[in-house]
Parts: sequence; C-alpha cells; structure tokens
Amino acid sequence: MVELERRGIPTVFFTARTFVHDALRSAASFGLSGLPIAVVPMPLTNQRPQDIHVMVEGAIEQVVAGLTQPVEAVPENHDLPAADERLSYTGEDLLAAWDVMQAEFLGRGWGDGFPLVAPTRRAVDAMLAGTRRAAGDVIATLEPGFGLATVEKLAINAVMAGCQPPHLPFLIAAVQCLAEPKMYLRNKAMSTGPHAPVVIVNGPRGRAARFSGGMCALGPGAPSVSNTVLGRARRLTMMNVGHTYVGVSDMDTIGSPLKYACCCAENEPESPWAPYHATRGFRREDSTVTVHFAYGLCELHDFKSTTPEGLVGVFATAATNVAQVGTGLWLLGRRADPRYKTTEQEHNTMLICPEHAQVFAREGWGRERIQEAMYRAARMPFRTLMLNKERPAMAASHPELGWMWDHPDLPVPIVEDPGCFEIVVVGGAAGRGAYFYGAGAPVTKLVED
Amino acid sequence: MAQLDVLNPVAQPVRHSVAPARRRSDLRDATIGLYSNMKAGGSDALDRTEELLRERFPGATFKRYHGSVGFLMRHCTAEDSDRIAREVQAVVGTTAD
Repeated sequence: MVELERRGIPTVFFTARTFVHDALRSAASFGLSGLPIAVVPMPLTNQRPQDIHVMVEGAIEQVVAGLTQPVEAVPENHDLPAADERLSYTGEDLLAAWDVMQAEFLGRGWGDGFPLVAPTRRAVDAMLAGTRRAAGDVIATLEPGFGLATVEKLAINAVMAGCQPPHLPFLIAAVQCLAEPKMYLRNKAMSTGPHAPVVIVNGPRGRAARFSGGMCALGPGAPSVSNTVLGRARRLTMMNVGHTYVGVSDMDTIGSPLKYACCCAENEPESPWAPYHATRGFRREDSTVTVHFAYGLCELHDFKSTTPEGLVGVFATAATNVAQVGTGLWLLGRRADPRYKTTEQEHNTMLICPEHAQVFAREGWGRERIQEAMYRAARMPFRTLMLNKERPAMAASHPELGWMWDHPDLPVPIVEDPGCFEIVVVGGAAGRGAYFYGAGAPVTKLVED
Repeated sequence: MAQLDVLNPVAQPVRHSVAPARRRSDLRDATIGLYSNMKAGGSDALDRTEELLRERFPGATFKRYHGSVGFLMRHCTAEDSDRIAREVQAVVGTTAD
C-alpha cells in the first residue's frame, strides 16, 4: 500500500483489530505513518463469507474515508527507541539497581523474559574485544524496523544474553545471515507463524568457542552454554536491533520455545561426511554460521532400523505432516521478496545423530542419496496436501499443475526438490535426531574477526 | 544508594519518508482497484466492498489484483505497483489479517 501511495494512488486496507498496531508500525517503518486502515473485528481467515460481509459492512465508512479524506501523519509513539544511549538505575545496592533495570527492560519489551546481564560500559567494551571491527561499524540494517546493527549494539545485546567475547563474531555472522536479502527476514520476523531461527555453527572456531554438537546440543545445560547464549543473543538482536517486538511487529499467534534460543554446532568429529558448511560452498577449514528459520521440530527416533531404507522410512513420517505450513507449500509458489526479486524454496533441516549417520555411511550413503530417498519417500496424496491451501493461490503459481485436481490420490512430494532436505550431523550417542520444519531456505556466512 | 549505568540496547532505525497520495473527495466514475494477497477470506471481503462502493459511487468500475510473486501470500513487485497505479485511481486492499 505504501508503494501505491508513493505512486500517487490513495489506498486503504482492511486490518483486524489485533493487527492495528502492527499495521501502523509497519507503515511507519516504510515511511508513511498514518496510512489509512479500515479496522475489522477479526482476521478474515477461517471466517464464513457471510461473517466477512458483516465485518466489511461495519468498516465501509472507514474505507470511504480512507480513500477520500486527507491523510494526517500519526505522531511517533512510545514504542520507538529512547534517544538516550546511556541509562541509569538506582537502588539500595547494585543488585537492587539491577532489579530496577530488569523491570524496565522487560517492561519496554527489550528482554525475552529471562533475567538479563547488565550491559555496562565495561562489559560491552570487553565484548567488543572479541572482534577487530570498530564499535561503530554497521553490519546491516535489520528488518522489520530497519535498525542500524552497529557492532556496539550487537555487543550490548550479546552481553545481555550472557555471551563471552569469542561469541561476538558468531553473532555478527548470524546477523549477516538474517540481513541477507534472500532471507526475507521481514516476512519471517513479522508473521503470525512461529518462525524461529535455527543457528548452526561449523568449523574450527566454533569448537574453540565451545559450541557443542554433541549430547543435548540444543540445550539446556552446561555442555551447550555457548549454543544457548548465541541463540539468545540472536533473539535479543532481532528484538532490539531489528525491532521485532511481540504484538508490535511480531504477530506470532502462539509463539515457540525455539525462539528463545535455538543453536547448535555440527558434530563434525563424529560425522562420516564432509562438514555441512563444505556442502554450501565453504572450505572445510572455514568457520561459518548458518541460519535457517523453522516452525517447529519433531524427533527422529529409531532404535530399530539397521538399514538406510529403514531410517528413511521412519524419517519420512516426520516430514509428511500437513499441519506444518511448509509441507507441500511449493504447490502455492515460492516465498518471495518483491523488493529484491528473491525467491526461496521451502527447506527442512534434519539433524541426524551420529549413530544414524553411521548406518547410512556403512552402506555408502551420503547426503545426496539421503535427500533423494527422502524426496521419494516423503509424499502425500494431493488432496491431503491441499487440505489447508487455497486453490486460487495454486492456480496463480502453478497453472500448469491444474490437472492434479483430477488425481486427488496422486502421491506428491512434500518439497520442491531433493535439495530441500538439509542434513547436519548433531547429537550424542543413541538413535535420536531432530527434524526441523523449515521456513524458506538457510543462509550461511563466514565467521570473521 | 547505588547506581547502575548501562547502555541502551535498542538500535536507531533508518527513517524512510513517503508522502501520502492526494485524495479525491468523490470516487464517482473512478476506477478502483481491489487488491488481495490471496490469503483466505480476502476475496470475500473485496466482493462485499465492491458491492457497497458501487452503491456509494455510481459509475465506479473495479479491477481485481493480486501480487505476481509469492506463495501463501502473494506480493506486488515494483512492476505490479506501476501497473496498478496506471490502471486505477484508488485501491482497497486486504491481507486478511
């Protein structure tokens, strides 16, 4: 709508009451505060046509006003960042002052709900020693709020999350992943879906910084401390640098525990294959961070199978879950950011435990063969895949596939091609891995000083 | 009393500015675009909108749009926006949210 206003066309758009704040904030971020909206009581999804008609009738005067009356800019509200760079809190002693800081940070929406480490000047300076970059260097402009991701702001959020200085370069790389245009962060950060970034660390620097790919790598606990604090810093950065604030610019309807922190390393020492990042164009000796948004995860449990075919048969049952939005989503097209002309296939990340990886490797199976086998095994009847998808959207994206409606029981792959299964070796002993239902495609960046 | 001094974690945003389009007070005989991102329910809302605006503004005509890229939600490219701007004098949109 803002782009049409820029072109001289008056606009108004229907907005559910719950989304008013989000809509106005989003319009302001794109430069037009006060963009007219017509407020309806409920989202239009899952509503009967007759109920939608009633909602429209109740909002039609707002539609007419939006198109015919001058638009007035709305003053900036209190959600925008405070101008003061330094904040002071007092109490009976420092712990009491810290309590005051916690309350204010949480009240302003600057925290994730857990206690935050105080980002004092000294702590932030120590964190900045973890990189050769200058504090004022701008790593990215992070959507949806177009926040300037300076090294110092990242260091502040890293301190708050409990990171140590060696973690800062990994956070910088993670932010570079988030800011990559093909990541389409705006879509994932603001969505009603529980998009949670899964952070995967590869390479020797990751091992030096104690990122864990072994037992309980996704946490919690002492072995995965580095994973936890980097994942947490990534979340705090999305909030305080990208301005992804719940109820304001993050409209996630149910949330996800994965959003707090979801990070692990690949268990390269116990993997029979080349490191994951080497499959993504990097050298084995490089250190990288990969970020892949996911909606949720399912266990890949199998103590019984001793063959690759047996494991794939079990893993495919996790993939064939139409209640996960990404399953068969390729039938409606590809996630696309029109500003950058990027498109993404929908990928899913499989964390395969070392024991299962050995079952595959023993029979000579590498990643590509597993991907191909998953592509063939993870299929669902067309009618089932379309249970929660709009037929017009499929017609708009894939008019050439209209014949499928005449073959409702046709087994259809749940992803667009075999490469949509990402395979990373993670975990401790015993046959249990994890399947992340992905959102879009992963992005990998080099970790640099 | 003790004082704890900390740094503000919130980044300053890059500001953008777009001037709103000039409104016309009467949409009689105008061509009005009805835009949906194709999420469920959007087309039903636009159906009723068209009926009501047709009663309000005699002579108005309507054109339907959705973006040319995307999946669950279809988005407008710059070219889509250019085309819509050439073809209509106002737009009512829905993202279904």
